[in-house]
Amino acid sequence: MKHPRFSLALIALAAALAVGPTHAQAKVLRIAFRTAETGFDPQRIDDRYSVGICENFFEPLLSYDYLARPVRLVPLTAEAIPEPEEGGRRYTFRIRPGIYFADDAAFKGVKRELTARDIEYSIKRFRDPRLRSPYEWLFENKIVGLDELAERAKKSGTLDYEARVEGLEVRGKYTISFKLKEADYNFLYVLAMPNVVPVAREVVERYGDDTMGHPVGTGPFILKEWVRRSKIVLEKNPNYRGHELDTRYANPADEWDRAAIESLKGKVLPALDRVEIFPIEDEQPRFLAFLNREHDILDETPFAFIHQVMPNGKLAANLAKAGVKVFREEQPELTYSVFNLNERQNDGVDNPVGGYTPERVALRRAMVLAYDRDREISVLRKGQAIAAQSPVPPGVVGYDGAFRAGAQDYDPPRAKALLDMFGYVDRDNDGWRDRPDGRALQVSYKYNAGSQENRQLAELWVKSMNEVGIRVEAEGVQFADLLKDKKVGKFMAASSAWTADYPDAQNFLQLLYGPNSGQSNEASFRLAEYDRVYERSLAMPDSPARNGLYREMNRLLLAYAPWRLGVHRIYNHLQYPWVKGYKKHPILYTNFKYLDLDTAARQAALK
Amino acid sequence: MTAYVLRRLWQMIPTLAGVILLIFFLFNWVGGDPAQVLAGKISNPEQIANIRKQLGVDEPFWFQLWVFVKQVFTFDFGRSWSTNEEVSRILLTRVGPTLTIMVPVLVIETVLAVLFAIMVAYVRGSLTDRTIMIVCTTAMSISFLVYIIFFQWLFGFKLGIFPVQGWSESFTKNLVTYAPLPIMLAIFVGLAPQLRLYRSFFLEEVNQDYVRTARAKGLPEKKVLLKHVLRNAMIPILTNIGIYLPSVFVGSFLLEVFFSIPGLGREIITAVNRSDFPVIKAVTVYLAMLTMIINLLVDVMYKFVDPRVSFK
Repeated sequence: MKHPRFSLALIALAAALAVGPTHAQAKVLRIAFRTAETGFDPQRIDDRYSVGICENFFEPLLSYDYLARPVRLVPLTAEAIPEPEEGGRRYTFRIRPGIYFADDAAFKGVKRELTARDIEYSIKRFRDPRLRSPYEWLFENKIVGLDELAERAKKSGTLDYEARVEGLEVRGKYTISFKLKEADYNFLYVLAMPNVVPVAREVVERYGDDTMGHPVGTGPFILKEWVRRSKIVLEKNPNYRGHELDTRYANPADEWDRAAIESLKGKVLPALDRVEIFPIEDEQPRFLAFLNREHDILDETPFAFIHQVMPNGKLAANLAKAGVKVFREEQPELTYSVFNLNERQNDGVDNPVGGYTPERVALRRAMVLAYDRDREISVLRKGQAIAAQSPVPPGVVGYDGAFRAGAQDYDPPRAKALLDMFGYVDRDNDGWRDRPDGRALQVSYKYNAGSQENRQLAELWVKSMNEVGIRVEAEGVQFADLLKDKKVGKFMAASSAWTADYPDAQNFLQLLYGPNSGQSNEASFRLAEYDRVYERSLAMPDSPARNGLYREMNRLLLAYAPWRLGVHRIYNHLQYPWVKGYKKHPILYTNFKYLDLDTAARQAALK
Repeated sequence: MTAYVLRRLWQMIPTLAGVILLIFFLFNWVGGDPAQVLAGKISNPEQIANIRKQLGVDEPFWFQLWVFVKQVFTFDFGRSWSTNEEVSRILLTRVGPTLTIMVPVLVIETVLAVLFAIMVAYVRGSLTDRTIMIVCTTAMSISFLVYIIFFQWLFGFKLGIFPVQGWSESFTKNLVTYAPLPIMLAIFVGLAPQLRLYRSFFLEEVNQDYVRTARAKGLPEKKVLLKHVLRNAMIPILTNIGIYLPSVFVGSFLLEVFFSIPGLGREIITAVNRSDFPVIKAVTVYLAMLTMIINLLVDVMYKFVDPRVSFK
């Protein structure tokens, strides 16, 4: 060869060219989140967006099938979904061998396999007082022996992770058995939550207070780069075993299922090499970044732009022309207004809406009928919500689509008639209704002053009540104060909301369970009949009989009106046509591990 | 001068003490209970008490105040209550993006405002002067938010000259790609009030006796303005820059939110929303210190700009 150097250079150039396109075709998904993250220690966080990102780093024992609706539990790191033992008091899991954590300096170069001890350790973390876990309640009064361990930790200040807990029984390397204090058929849902995931003790001990920035799990992605509140980059986890799309529970009539199967069947997932997430709090830049094709997906299209995106309920022509698809999702959540059922606030102030006497119940029911929810949906929510008929949202086990709550309809004439009938009339001719005993009727409505949406809803409350002659004053308070006031009962009526932690009606109906007063039962609703039915439902697996009990609880709610049911919000998720395999899951926040990208189509569109 | 500087430094102590007291009492009386936010969706009074204990907000007021004072003097504000990130790290990592935007804004805006103000003062009373003043007044009456929304839509989306939003780890990329639109926007919005203000400084000087004397001696108008008027107008201009300077370190919350810039302004608002007291404390105290130091530096600079100024 005359010019070996020249030849070598040519080979190098050819190699570079060969590498070039491959590199350019790396599948990088870009997406915005509407709220900034807090961190990625699964046992320390509860904000939806951080938890959503953690879904990609960590894996619970169980998860949900991607396509099945209604949602369906499937094993993830567990070999199978266990059958309840001892009448729903014991669940025994066997972990699939050969699942490895992502590499980390904490493992000192050794591949680290997932074991039952990791599950035990992670569950104990929820009760570590130093951790201040916002999900501690999941394991309170639940597992035999765990409360006692937590109690000792509170006294000493440190949790003894070596201590044996009877209800967390590790049987060998891969088997763990949970023994519960009471029968609980929803416990499996708890073990499918993205917070209830194994973390490695070595990692926690190595990073100490900095675990929020070092998520090391067995999931499909790792945290590659994190510019806090600005950019979060995930990359494919080299140690991840890979998975395929399970099509067993797909609905052939569902176009999203068909498209996902067509794009993903037979592929080893995750297909994405990298996911770039941009927390963007404001609506306009999030929307424009999507229109500009800077992002591939627009999750939760801002309500402010809904008329541009979906004029008359149909996708706008310009977006349809660009091949954009819209996924419309009724979220498993509920907004509502809560009445304080204590006759006095905790600061001693007389509360006219509290109590269980017929006239107090009638007042609450009249206020429920007087509130113009139709206007809330059409004007404030721009049609992107459905009126709640019960506390249980669609997509949740126990949801009854046929259940109609006429007692919660907007009906001012009925409200006025009810008030008149029970003596709430204007006795001093000041234009406002008074109480049956002649005292003035004045109700305060507390809301989060930091939220424009809450402020508008509070104004609508005042206007609606004024129209039937009830004097209501809206009182904006800081979010932290609102939470506190509702917990301690320092309010008359207030705005509230709940999002499903797991897809069972029990997660919503517990909000009115008497013993939860001062915690999640903000109304302090204490009705023996409701509590009895609720307790019976706890001891039953999903069945028509249990649904019957749920209906019974709904009826009691309508009768006593501790809440004014609000809405279930609807979100519209947009994607460009090069995003493949998209389907939004009602419980899991992200779906990155199921997505694929047609990079050639994207390149062509960007040109 | 040394005695003057020492005296001013000494005077900062009671001011700082006042700031510490004000922040402390505002937070404790108006700030909301952080434990309620951190406790999650379901919590009982025991858990709330545990969180309060962990945060130290269950201690007596005097003890909490003492801890705060220690933090100020050790420059160690601990960790954020919501993200567990070290407060010092939060400040160090967020100040960079803020300065990347705000320093060019300050420099360019000041240079342009001074330049235009002299030019307008030169043609004072003319149709050009009046037109510019009307434009400035109109521009000032429009909300900053409207400008942001319009500029972002026009230059980021419609014309596609800049990205709609974003930030990277690379300083150069930020300066060249992501920062120009917010910088341009901030200058555009800030220029009108500055121009009006500086014009008034120049016009005030223009009517002074020494200007009349200079003109009587036959100096050309340009020389009068640039050599005599400009130098004398620099004192109020410096004062104005001194007032503006501390805000450079805090940034513009709206710009940072709309353009996804991970700066201090955005961090402060998030901290307030989350009742994240360690971050609020640190930012407020450092900002107060910075303001006092900048005020001192500006006062010292008066001497160099105008030799007639003496330190008393």
